[in-house]
Amino acid sequence: MASNRDWTWFYRLGSPRWFYETTGRWLPWLWALTLVLLVAGLVWGLGYAPQDAKQGNSFRIIYLHVPVSFLALAGYYLMAIAGAIGLIWKMKLSYMVMKSAAPIGAVLTFLALFTGAVWGKPTWGTYWVWDARITSMLILLFLYLGVLALQYAFHSQEAGNKASAILALVGTVNIPIIYKSVDWWYTLHQPATIKLTSAPSMHIDMFQPLLVMIVALYSFYALALILFIRAEILQRERKAAWVCDLALRADQGSAGEDKE
Amino acid sequence: MSNIGFSAYLRRDLLLSYRRLGEAASPLIFFLLVSILIPLGVSPDPQRLAELAPGIIWVMALLATLLSTEGLFAADHQDGSLEQMLIAPQLLALPVLGKVTAHWLVTGLPLTLVSPLIGLMLSLPAVATVPMMASLALGTACLSLIGAVGAALTVSLRKGGLLLSILVIPLYIPVIIFGSAAVQTAVDGFNWLGPLSVLAAMLCAAIALCPWAIGGALRLVSSN
Amino acid sequence: MKFQFDSVQQMLEMAGHGQYVWTAVLVTLLMMAWLLVRPLQVHRAHLKTIAQQLRREQRRRITQEDNQ
Repeated sequence: MASNRDWTWFYRLGSPRWFYETTGRWLPWLWALTLVLLVAGLVWGLGYAPQDAKQGNSFRIIYLHVPVSFLALAGYYLMAIAGAIGLIWKMKLSYMVMKSAAPIGAVLTFLALFTGAVWGKPTWGTYWVWDARITSMLILLFLYLGVLALQYAFHSQEAGNKASAILALVGTVNIPIIYKSVDWWYTLHQPATIKLTSAPSMHIDMFQPLLVMIVALYSFYALALILFIRAEILQRERKAAWVCDLALRADQGSAGEDKE
Repeated sequence: MSNIGFSAYLRRDLLLSYRRLGEAASPLIFFLLVSILIPLGVSPDPQRLAELAPGIIWVMALLATLLSTEGLFAADHQDGSLEQMLIAPQLLALPVLGKVTAHWLVTGLPLTLVSPLIGLMLSLPAVATVPMMASLALGTACLSLIGAVGAALTVSLRKGGLLLSILVIPLYIPVIIFGSAAVQTAVDGFNWLGPLSVLAAMLCAAIALCPWAIGGALRLVSSN
Repeated sequence: MKFQFDSVQQMLEMAGHGQYVWTAVLVTLLMMAWLLVRPLQVHRAHLKTIAQQLRREQRRRITQEDNQ
């Protein structure tokens, strides 16, 4: 019996209603944490961190670029793991996590590319370089877009879930191979004129705000993911009694506001 | 008799493509035709062509394989024989591998065999002919296996072709990097066995892993 | 730790790099904001359609009872 009880949290975690209600209680705190960390990190990084000796002020883009790239890559693994859990344990909620992680990851990957390009202009004199890391990021964007496209190509929610979970898993196996081959390809073709400085050892004053921004982005990611999942839950559980209750209460609330 | 599924499906698919020879030959014709576009579109200058040849041949081979991948499971899905394959008691990976092998035999292998002709037309140095054929033979097999995963995922969609290419082209990237690198290193006069052995390793990994992904995809997706 | 810029003007210019830094900041913040606003919009829209659906069913049930 004891071993049975140990697993109840796992199944409760899989219950959309439980997730919706619990995260509802967390949300205000998560909003506050995210906003405070973002504002603190940005003000610190953009205003107080000393400028880089070589790159001057343009290096401040690092406070956006690095955290965003971090989460873009981590997000793919999160999406694939959620998909695998969905395939193995047939858990509804984990498919919702997977489906919600895809658009967030795609936007973050785009932002990583965008901030990298804007950073590249003053540093290397060009917006785009076929550098190994940039190229890998571009491929990651297409992997995300593939999962998104496949998810929405099916009429049945079920088939879309399973298909994109499999694709995400195949992509996960491939990501290390893609990264290694792009790396190798880059050393083969490395142009002599453009030397990309590998991340120099950072001064502690520059590193602290970066750390704050990384934590801020993690918090932001959690917030965005939860918001997407909650919207998804309402859509998929629209026949459930508790969702109907929720909708009616929200409706009466807004109707009352309108009258005032 | 675990390999019954493999050889039966291999023979069956080869026979089917022999009966529809025109359809089976179209990737090959596509490969030849598109290669003609390059001298017309870029320049007929032999030196410039030779510089571009390794990359061009590989990109064309990739597109030609991709073009033929869409139909890998489509006909079987339409006439119901895919269902039959799925409910059969044998290990699903074996018939799947048989079908993919047949696909490679009718697309990748002919591409490999005519590639010296294209190499000649694009003035690829003669030293690179053998590495090109070796890399194409190994590489197109990888492409067939990876493409089959995409084909299985999109088999029940009516317009799966374009989606298929979005799904699998990112996964093709390591293959094209090492494939064209093998040819390029041969052109530059270095030892080309390095990139080639990486391709061989990729093929081994693909043979071991892809049939499971294809089987899983067919089982999960085609029923909906 | 001291603030690196003497004036707002200086902070906007960032010694010539301002346009790059601020473009990156602006675009990043806008797209991140979209990632938060979008699910909230969808959330509200779902609640609304569910409520409408329920009220429509309720009305239909009432008229049916009236007819009987």
